[in-house]
Amino acid sequence: MNPIIRLVNRNLTISLNMGFVIWQIVFPLIYIFVAGFAYTALIHQVPFGNKTLDYPAFIATGMIGFNIMNSTLISGVIIWNDRRHGMFEQILVGPFTRAQYILSNVYTIGIIGLVSAAMITAVGYPLFFKQVEFNVLTVPLVVFASITGSILFGSIASIISTRLKSSEGFNVVINTVFLFFAFVSTAFYPAQGAPPILSTAFYFNPLTYLVDVVRAGIFGYFNGMVATEMIVLGIGAAVLFLVATKLLSKLEL
Amino acid sequence: MYGIEVNSLSKSYGNFTAVDGIDLKVEQGKIFGFLGPNGAGKTTTMKMLTTLIPPSSGKMSILGIDAIKSPLEIRKKIGVVLQQPSYEPTLSVEKSLEKYGMMWNVDKKIRKNRVEELLVAFDLVDIRKKKNDDLSIGQRRRVQVAREFMHDMDLLFLDEPTVGLDPSARRGLLDFIKGKVKDGLTIFFTTHILEEAEYLCDDIAIINKGKIIAVDTPDELKNKFGRQKTIKIHVGQQENISSLLDGIPDCTMEYDTGCIITVHSSQSEQVLQDILKILASNHILVEDLSVVPTSLEEIFLSVVKNSNESNNSPGQ
Repeated sequence: MNPIIRLVNRNLTISLNMGFVIWQIVFPLIYIFVAGFAYTALIHQVPFGNKTLDYPAFIATGMIGFNIMNSTLISGVIIWNDRRHGMFEQILVGPFTRAQYILSNVYTIGIIGLVSAAMITAVGYPLFFKQVEFNVLTVPLVVFASITGSILFGSIASIISTRLKSSEGFNVVINTVFLFFAFVSTAFYPAQGAPPILSTAFYFNPLTYLVDVVRAGIFGYFNGMVATEMIVLGIGAAVLFLVATKLLSKLEL
Repeated sequence: MYGIEVNSLSKSYGNFTAVDGIDLKVEQGKIFGFLGPNGAGKTTTMKMLTTLIPPSSGKMSILGIDAIKSPLEIRKKIGVVLQQPSYEPTLSVEKSLEKYGMMWNVDKKIRKNRVEELLVAFDLVDIRKKKNDDLSIGQRRRVQVAREFMHDMDLLFLDEPTVGLDPSARRGLLDFIKGKVKDGLTIFFTTHILEEAEYLCDDIAIINKGKIIAVDTPDELKNKFGRQKTIKIHVGQQENISSLLDGIPDCTMEYDTGCIITVHSSQSEQVLQDILKILASNHILVEDLSVVPTSLEEIFLSVVKNSNESNNSPGQ
């Protein structure tokens, strides 16, 4: 068996426990079915491209991106735990190279990101099926967003895990950064209508781009803005992946 | 072909030289002990030999393969038990062994059998379902060492593998290792417990301040450096005995309250003859007599002390 596949197998085994799966399903369900309906009283409809979406449909699709981001935290956690529990060195004195270790993390978060996206799509489908407009671009757009988003956020989590030395520091930084990504984005609410500073800040956040591309795929709306967002997402993922790889390669043993 | 062959190997961090031009040859199928005080350069050497860090200069050949050119080829043929704990907290003991075997691409059927063998050999059967996070330090160490035997290898590096183990687990591990060496495995072993090195190792190197200061078999090291011996003489009376023996040269003596004289001397045979002559001529009965052999620990302390003194002497 290929060494990368063996490492991915190991990564999935150590990361996927019942707690993680429940967290990955229950947390978005609460947002979709509780916040989604509760906020309908305040936000009736949300404009998206040439369409108007019901808020539950809007937040359910936002949750797909949010869940992809959340699940990629696992990449940082794997690296952090491997360093903390001595497995990083142990793997590197085994039949593996650093490049294989790094790639195995990318594949792991890619798989988890895709599965998370599929899971939330299935769960949220009853809420947005009326407004869904599947076309030839739907699957490519959602898969592109899932993979680039996973790599981008996985790289951010990896960078954080290589720079910090204490558990407390790792938890504080990763939670703060991901909290910012989650709430200063268009995952939960539209940019239109928000104060100008905030709506500008939304576009300094890669989750906004990820969520917009997912929505574009699901609601069949593709224009120049979505294409630009895809390019930004792709470049961001590539740059951050290179930075994460460089930092991991230089990690002292 | 040697298991390990190292020439002028050095590792520096800025101005600090952790390992300073060491030469080593480890024969295949032997257990090689690598001893040294804290900070002597043992772990840095181990990290270079296991290809975890590159040397600053020098040559390394592991199992006949150039370690600088082909580190991955070497890593496929060696096993390493690091000094620091390494474990996956969420996995159970048996799952840890099984997954480690999978990572080494060991066939599923062989993995299954090895897990059972190692659980028994390392006394892990009762805790096989326990998660690594819930184990004691000693149990975790046993799992870490056991896990390394999930895969085949030609050379095993053990960096203080018995730390945290109780005496019976420690002896069990040493005997298990001895058994593996009979099957042809070469072992590079560091430890602070010198009785272990004496019990286990065919050859020993002592490193201090980054330099190898002695290499030989434990017996030869004793012959070379273990000239001072300790003699214990139990006598029937002790009145005025110190005044009778104090004139004997080349020794130091201690008299305890119960009639035991302890003599330290590098000329033990001559000193013993002189003592026995004086005791006989004064009609003092010798009830018991023993010569305590030099332990490896004494050799180690003496060699390291000499090395420190020569490093600190003027002109060095």
